[in-house]
Formats: sequence, structure tokens, C-alpha cells
Amino acid sequence: MANLKDIRNRIKSVKSIQKVTKAMKMVAAAKMRKAQERMEEARPYANRLEGMINHLLPDVNREFLDLLDVREVKRVGYVIVTSDRGLAGSFNTNVLKTAQNDIDSIGKENVDIFCIGKKARDHFKRRNYNIIESHTDFWNELKFNDAIHLGEGIVSHFTKKHVDEIHVVYNEFVNVATQKIQSELLLPLVFDGDEKQIVDRLYEPNKEDIVKSLIPRHLNIQMWKYLLESFASEQAARMLAMENATENAQEMIKDLTLQFNKARQAAITTEMLEIVSGAEALQN
Amino acid sequence: MSTFNLEIVTPTKLLDEGQVEHIRCPGLDGYFGVMASHRAAIIALNIGEIKVTQNGKNHYLATSGGFVEITKEKVELLLETFERAEKIDAARAESALQRAEERKVAKEIDTSRNEASLLRAINRLKVSKH
Repeated sequence: MANLKDIRNRIKSVKSIQKVTKAMKMVAAAKMRKAQERMEEARPYANRLEGMINHLLPDVNREFLDLLDVREVKRVGYVIVTSDRGLAGSFNTNVLKTAQNDIDSIGKENVDIFCIGKKARDHFKRRNYNIIESHTDFWNELKFNDAIHLGEGIVSHFTKKHVDEIHVVYNEFVNVATQKIQSELLLPLVFDGDEKQIVDRLYEPNKEDIVKSLIPRHLNIQMWKYLLESFASEQAARMLAMENATENAQEMIKDLTLQFNKARQAAITTEMLEIVSGAEALQN
Repeated sequence: MSTFNLEIVTPTKLLDEGQVEHIRCPGLDGYFGVMASHRAAIIALNIGEIKVTQNGKNHYLATSGGFVEITKEKVELLLETFERAEKIDAARAESALQRAEERKVAKEIDTSRNEASLLRAINRLKVSKH
């Protein structure tokens, strides 16, 4: 039977761990709600840009737009969105596994990687993959400028023809309990809006120039969407992980308390036995 | 003076500015004005200053570019970023300007990217003087 004092100490330490996990769960819940709000707020802008592109693109000669340029695929770029911190269940592991499978099936010498979040950087650096840029330490104060900054680097890598395609792997936020790993083609852009609408409208300076300035902005908002989705997913995953941890701690406390009581009773019984047998020895 | 409804839509918020009389925007080919009952249009905007006239008073915004979409019901400014003149941190803009100029001299990194941040800093400083 374990020492009474040892068990008491263990119960104490499990209880303090439980407090920490409970607090982390609450923080994650608050951050997740915030991220969801920001996703809502980004929607009107994103929808309007998309509407304009789908409306204008059928009328525009696509050859002048280098971001729509479909080339023979020799080299591929991968943007991998992870978090800076762990303690979020399988959130990072799943993304990294999917990304690595995809990359290995192409051959890692033909892939350039953009790492977002420390976890992706550490994972691929250790395995000697070809990392072009890594962005870390911005999740705490996520701003739209981060998306623009990321977008610029990735887009210029594509327009300079270092790679012929760019994919993004990230966690999509479905709801609090589910996050789905998505692997999407970011560049070249694909639009399927083919129906021509005739609207009596003025375009200044002309449709081509409007589309030319629309598309990079559309990419920025797309990047922003990936960041927000991933951030909300991270918080949701952490919330769930921490909830499980809190429950496990509760279970452990229950077991340890039982053990403690048993040990205590055993100690008392032994003591009584000693007294009784001592008394009996005297009588005889 | 007849008025129209102005909305500012950015990736982080949607603002209803209410009824305004006139706006002046930086088009790619130069500044232009919009008044009530303008023809439906989509116009691309450059880095520059937007002047909004509301109740006879002028307000100024610095923007890094975007679009204006004019429909019968309202005018929407689709801006990636914008700042109101009174809220611009002139000191920060000044230091951004300096950094961009230093980079220009040193001929580091992407010139087109640096050029854009130079223009943005100049524009913000200009608008903040109102």
C-alpha cells in the first residue's frame, strides 16, 4: 500500500493541474467565439468581391492575368497552416500528416513549403524539407495585415514562376466539435462563373484593370479566411482537449481518494491489531 | 441637397455611414466625385484620400485602395484598409515613411512592394494633416 503522504501529495498536484486545464478551456472558448465573430465580419466583403469577379471574368481576356495562368506542373508550393502552441489534441498532427503525405507523393525535392505557425516550421525543418518562408508568433494579435503580408509572399513566388501551383492545407472550422482538414488549390485561381449577366453599369477605368486589382485582393481575403478558419479550429480543438483533460483529472482524483481512504483504513486496522494483540499477550 | 446612403465594407467590419451628400474618391485615373442618383458603376480606387461630405461637413479617410460599387439604393466602398484622418498616428506614418525611404536607398527586397508602402505612408501623412 502506498504511503499516505504520497497519495495526499498526488491528489493535490492533480487538483492544481485540473485548475489549469479548466482555465485553459475557458480561455479557448472565449477566443473561439471571437474568431467566429471575425469570420462573420469578413463575409460581406468576401462575398462582394467574389460576386464582382464572377460577374466580370467572362468578359475579360484571361491571358493578361498571371494569377489565372495554368502551367504545366513541375514544382508545387504548399502553404501549411498550423498553430504556434500545442495542447490542442490532434489539431496540428492531422494537418501535418495530410500535408506530408501529399508532399511525399509528389516528391519532397519538387515542393516549396510556406510554413504558418511554429508547429509546421519545426516539423518540416527537422525533416529537411524545402522551406521558403515561415511565419510565426502572430496568432495572438491576428490582423488583416498579416494576411496581406502572407499573401504577397506567396503570390510573388507564383508569379515569378518558381512554382506552378500552390496548395493550402488547413483546418476548416465546421462546428465546435468537428474540424475538417482541407487541402485546396489556391493558385492558379479557378472560377466557374460562366453565365453572362447584362447590367447597365459603368466600369472605370475598364473591366480588365478592375479585374487586375480585384484578384490580388481576392487572394488576400482568401488568406484571411484560411487564417481565421484555422484559428477558430485551433481554439475549438484546444477547448475539447482541455475538457477531456479536466474530466480525466476528475477521474484520477476519484481513484486516488479511494486509494487514500483504503490506505488510511488499513493503517488504522494494523494499529488496532497491534494494540489488541499486545493486550492479549499481557493477559496471558 | 439630395443625399445617398454610404456603406464602407472592409474585411473586418461593415460600417453604415448613413446619408451623405457627396464623396470624392481616388480613381486609378484621378479623383472623381459621386453625388446622389449617380449611374450604376464599379470603379477601382487607388491609394489616396476619400472625402465624405455629410451635413455640410467634410470628413477625410486614407485608404490603400479598393473599389466603389454604385447601385440605385446605395454606394458601397469596398476597402481593404482605411483610416479616418483624425485617427491616423502621424508619428507612426512618419517612421514607416522613413523606413521605406531607407530601404529604397539600400535597394533591399522587392522594389514594387516597397514603393507601395512608401506611397501608403505618404498618403497617410497627407490625410492626417486635415
